[in-house]
Amino acid sequence: MSSSLTLAAGTAVQRPRRLLLALGGALIVATYLFLVIVQPAEIAGGMGSTASLVSLFGFLGGGALLVGGILPMLSTSSLVVMPLGIALNIAIGQVAGTLGLQIYLDAIGTVLVAVLAGPAAGAATGAISNAIWGLFNPFALPFAAGAALIGLLAGMAAKYGAFRRVYLAPVAGLVVGAIGGLVAAPVAVFMFGAAGTFGTNAIIAVFRSMGDKLLVAATKQGLLSDSLDKVVVFVLVALVVYALPPRAVRQFPFARAHRVLGARTGTPARSANGNDAGAA
Amino acid sequence: MPRRRIYNPLTELLAAVLLVVLVLVVNRWEFSLAVLVLVVVPAVLVSGRPRQIGLAVLLVAGPLVLSSLLLHGLFYPEGRTVLLDLGIARVTTEGLSFAAAMGLRMGVFAGVLLPAAMTLDIPELLATMTHRGWNRKLVFVVGSAIGLIPHVAMRARQITRSQQARGLVVGRGPVSRVRALLAVLTPLVIGLLVDAAERNSMLEARSFSSGVTRTSYLPDTDTVRQRGVRRAMVVAVGVFSVAWLVGPGAA
Repeated sequence: MSSSLTLAAGTAVQRPRRLLLALGGALIVATYLFLVIVQPAEIAGGMGSTASLVSLFGFLGGGALLVGGILPMLSTSSLVVMPLGIALNIAIGQVAGTLGLQIYLDAIGTVLVAVLAGPAAGAATGAISNAIWGLFNPFALPFAAGAALIGLLAGMAAKYGAFRRVYLAPVAGLVVGAIGGLVAAPVAVFMFGAAGTFGTNAIIAVFRSMGDKLLVAATKQGLLSDSLDKVVVFVLVALVVYALPPRAVRQFPFARAHRVLGARTGTPARSANGNDAGAA
Repeated sequence: MPRRRIYNPLTELLAAVLLVVLVLVVNRWEFSLAVLVLVVVPAVLVSGRPRQIGLAVLLVAGPLVLSSLLLHGLFYPEGRTVLLDLGIARVTTEGLSFAAAMGLRMGVFAGVLLPAAMTLDIPELLATMTHRGWNRKLVFVVGSAIGLIPHVAMRARQITRSQQARGLVVGRGPVSRVRALLAVLTPLVIGLLVDAAERNSMLEARSFSSGVTRTSYLPDTDTVRQRGVRRAMVVAVGVFSVAWLVGPGAA
């Protein structure tokens, strides 16, 4: 087969993928806007059947469309690291529990994959991670789109240099955590009435005792808790990737092409590597 | 004793998800309670592992239901009928009924999905996905991740024990805890990345990235009738949902 034929076929295949990505992103944004702008009054008067359904299908459907658009464009090296990230997300939660930590650390695998393999792999890892976690803990399922967003933003932060210096990582974590908290709050409110752990509910209770609506209180709690959690996660991931042998990081085209860890990841990659980096 | 499997895992998962959707659509505590008593309890009892699954449902949903009851039972500023005034906290009828309805919903959510997931035959599910032509990369990621979870958890425990044998002591302060986590996390990630690099080479050697149709080593247990039933279930729930939400039964 000639190279020109290969290129033409590749371009034709990319169109539906981009359409899936655009549809997925639009569905998630539309769902968020609908929940925040149209529905806040409803939750005070009842559980809000429409809001719950929109929350479930909008965020889950958007996440599924994103995964459908992202997966075909990922290289094998990105794919093999995704199960690792998913397993880390779940297993480290257990380790954190045995060490007596007060935060969940359930996005370490997602952020790690995003830093090594790029925003696309990070987003897919986040969404699939919550879908698989849903088999063990069904309450994780509706948060799939939020987890995808964390992976996407972490990858973007890595691409634009947030991990080239360790001290930049917590700043990126703070911003990503705040955005993640904003997106997760409506899901928590409309699906489960903002029920969470005793710690997070204590924060919501403080804001509710001041007269805040449930969505406002959950959003403020999300901004506080998720920002703190992501600051810790980003710092941990930065320390781990800097402790890795340089060849372990250089096996990832995204990390090489965008010099994610600065001089440690070597010179920018060219030619074939650009495909994966560009896709990511 | 494990139950005899009648339906394909994909059919069972879809039925569980659609039941959750119905609970959200109908949005009445009577219906949620009926699903809990008439569907969830019998499903747990015939699962072959009623004690294990019942305990898992309690452990997953219990703390959430309890925290919801405390949150809305004590702090519900929209509540008008005050039953008990505790200063900053007020127990109201509206708050209690909201907490009970949410608790029931969460109970159904966990009670329907957990038994379906815990009795799932994962290899059969992955084989069905392959036979039905699902994205091969998705099947690989899902199957590989589910297989890796116990492996990662075991390796993390081994590393933790090794580091403790070398003098790792977890103090009460956050810095000490983060340092302990790093001492476990770093060798764990290095080992997993080495495994991933080897897996990458093996997959490429077996032309994983080629576009040809995949072959599953497991037989296809999915039948034409079950595929028809799945489509019918989706259509029926879709039609009912639209009729309920748009028609006279709308909440």
